[in-house]
Amino acid sequence: MALSPELTFLPDEPRWRWLRGTFRLLPIAIFLLIWQVVVDLDLVDRSFLPSVSDTFAALWQLTRDGEIGLNLWVSMYRALGGLLIGSVLGVAIGLAMATSERANEFFGPLVATTYSLPKASLVPLFILWFGIGDTTDMLTVVLACLLPVIVSTYHGVKAVPPVILWSARAMGTPRHLVLWRILFPGALPSILTGVRIALGFCFVLTISAEMIAAKSGIGKLIFIYGENGAYVHMFGGLLAVILAAFVADRALLAVMSYLLRWDDAYHAASAHG
Amino acid sequence: MDEGNGIARRVGAVVKAAAIHSYSLILLFLVWEGASRLGLARPLFLPSVTDVVRQFGALLASGDVLAPLVLSLYRAFAGLALAVVVGMIAGLVMARSKWAHWALDPLVSLAFPAPKIAFVPIFILWFGIDSLSKILLVAFTCVLPMLVATYHGAIGVSRTIIWSAEAMGTPERTLLYRVILPASLPYVFSGIRVTTPVALITAFTAEMIAGGGGVGAALMFAQRFFQTPTVFVYILVMLITGFAFDHLMVRLRDRLIPWQDETERP
Amino acid sequence: MSRICIERLDKRYKSRDGDVPALIDINLEIEDGEFVSIIGPSGCGKSTLLYILGGFIPADSGTMQIDGKPITGPGIDRGIVFQEYALFPWLTVAQNILYGLEMAGVPRRRREDIVGQLIRTVNLEGFENRFPRELSGGMKQRVAIARTLAYDPKILLLDEPFGALDSQTREAMQDELRRLWLAQRKTVLFVTHDVDEAVYLSERVVVMSNRPGHIVEEFKITVDRSGGREATVLSSAFITLRNQVWLSVRRQVGAPSL
Repeated sequence: MALSPELTFLPDEPRWRWLRGTFRLLPIAIFLLIWQVVVDLDLVDRSFLPSVSDTFAALWQLTRDGEIGLNLWVSMYRALGGLLIGSVLGVAIGLAMATSERANEFFGPLVATTYSLPKASLVPLFILWFGIGDTTDMLTVVLACLLPVIVSTYHGVKAVPPVILWSARAMGTPRHLVLWRILFPGALPSILTGVRIALGFCFVLTISAEMIAAKSGIGKLIFIYGENGAYVHMFGGLLAVILAAFVADRALLAVMSYLLRWDDAYHAASAHG
Repeated sequence: MDEGNGIARRVGAVVKAAAIHSYSLILLFLVWEGASRLGLARPLFLPSVTDVVRQFGALLASGDVLAPLVLSLYRAFAGLALAVVVGMIAGLVMARSKWAHWALDPLVSLAFPAPKIAFVPIFILWFGIDSLSKILLVAFTCVLPMLVATYHGAIGVSRTIIWSAEAMGTPERTLLYRVILPASLPYVFSGIRVTTPVALITAFTAEMIAGGGGVGAALMFAQRFFQTPTVFVYILVMLITGFAFDHLMVRLRDRLIPWQDETERP
Repeated sequence: MSRICIERLDKRYKSRDGDVPALIDINLEIEDGEFVSIIGPSGCGKSTLLYILGGFIPADSGTMQIDGKPITGPGIDRGIVFQEYALFPWLTVAQNILYGLEMAGVPRRRREDIVGQLIRTVNLEGFENRFPRELSGGMKQRVAIARTLAYDPKILLLDEPFGALDSQTREAMQDELRRLWLAQRKTVLFVTHDVDEAVYLSERVVVMSNRPGHIVEEFKITVDRSGGREATVLSSAFITLRNQVWLSVRRQVGAPSL
């Protein structure tokens, strides 16, 4: 019998599921192993690539010292705070654009133009205006998160089937409630997809802004370590960022799964993987 | 003579329509220009529109726009090309081989949400300040979306098409590039279209962080010396570049993949 | 009272080549409590007529009145059931049925009583907290009907409600609809393309022509249904009428359209 990665020879019982799950994570362990071996065999200069053990040790030490914890917290605050503000604003603008021709005419050109602008390019300008600090960083993040959320909200609302709107009106829904009770829930799957994209952006922009110029933050920390030659710590900080981003994404996915538990399309898609 | 007038009138009508539809932009420019003329903001913080335009012309003439732009574009597209090739191969292999999927999937899932820009210091350590580190960083950032796009395109190819080809005796390698590849092209192209801005942004940002030439470095340089009109000029350069390439992509798509049904566009 | 009165109704659609007529000179009167089916070939505009009556799209000329008052938009006096169910996917079965009651300002305790009753009426006990995506087509349609009945509209507009169901479910739903109508005697306007369904359910069947639609024939259905479905469907009265209607529709299908 051919061995398949799904381990089909194992029965589909709960007690074997942990083995299946572990097997799926095995490639990561293999990757770490290869990394460690490459360094141990001196195939690569240690100053260019610290070993797995050294990196994890550095991460552990920095966490205990609080340096990573503090800076990571600052960065997460900027990133997620910006994401929250950007998402709320984005939903509001998207809803307006989808329901009011006037709002669409006003915001449409603004959205289309800033679409192609790398928001990181605004960091030097914001530094000039607001100085180095949280305002600059968060403002950049807000602007970056606005666009995907506006666009996904707009399309989500437009995609609500007319018969749903008609049913709502036939059942006596007053105009001012249609937006909040019908259009917003109907557009939620699309909105949350946009928020997930914005989540990716907010990390990229926070790190970018911090590396360009900042007084604190994990981006700045990694940069400083690099400049001062503390390479092992640099790798440790990078590892922290990767893990934080991963956890945040998974958390959002879990929230989405709950909020969209009624959505046929979302569950059909996620069954695909 | 009459024909010329007719064309002029039509152009005028188009311009007028465009102006009415983008009145918010025009309003923005008017407010901006008004604020700086009325002295509501210091020129250090907000130069007037005319100053920016003048500076644009000056920099363009002195070659300080094209030279860094060409360098940035070179880095962005070299990196993108690399990412497209590697991403497509990896995506196709992952779609056709369960073991390849098993090996790569957890790494892809872990790497996808991570902000690749955080790798700038590492890439500088490994590859220096010049173009190589930036090209590789762009490639690194773009390879994942390309991989995912290709993967989804390839697994989306209808089973019946594959079975028909296999029934006609197509060997695996031919199947890959005569059936699956063309069928996945719409997704691949969509991936390229989405990833091009990422390539540009990554190149610009890496230059802003690490220097070494290019529009990003020029922007930081201007900011450090408080040359605000120049800062605006380079922001505009980035904006126009992004805009131009997105439109180019749309045009290219319509010419390269004309067989695609409008309704099936990914 | 809920007399529906339609006079000289026209509806046109704008297209690239000018106006395309969809409905021409529709004249129809429906008495209070009457069950009327509208039947005709595909594309004849029967659904369009229903949507105009529902107030979702405007007519181009003519008048439509309910009890002497013109129709200006959607309203809770006309409940509508669509072929696509149009349930709110983000609400549970119970929440969907509650919706109209909430909009009507019915007090909470009373609301819950009505919902409980309706769930029993349409045989969906145990599914109160399920989402529409977890239900079969027939169940979704029962929720759609329950939702519309909840706030007790005087008029029911049904647009091929059983079209997407398999024939066994369809027959069960037809019987259920008839039972509800007999109990509540609402005015019902039922659009369908199924001749047997129209004759089985209604007191009157209106046949529309091919596009642009206008009314070509009306049939008064005088069939004794007291013996149950088998007796009714196999009775000679039913068969004769059914054949007459079928022939009428068939003639319209063959007729030239615009």
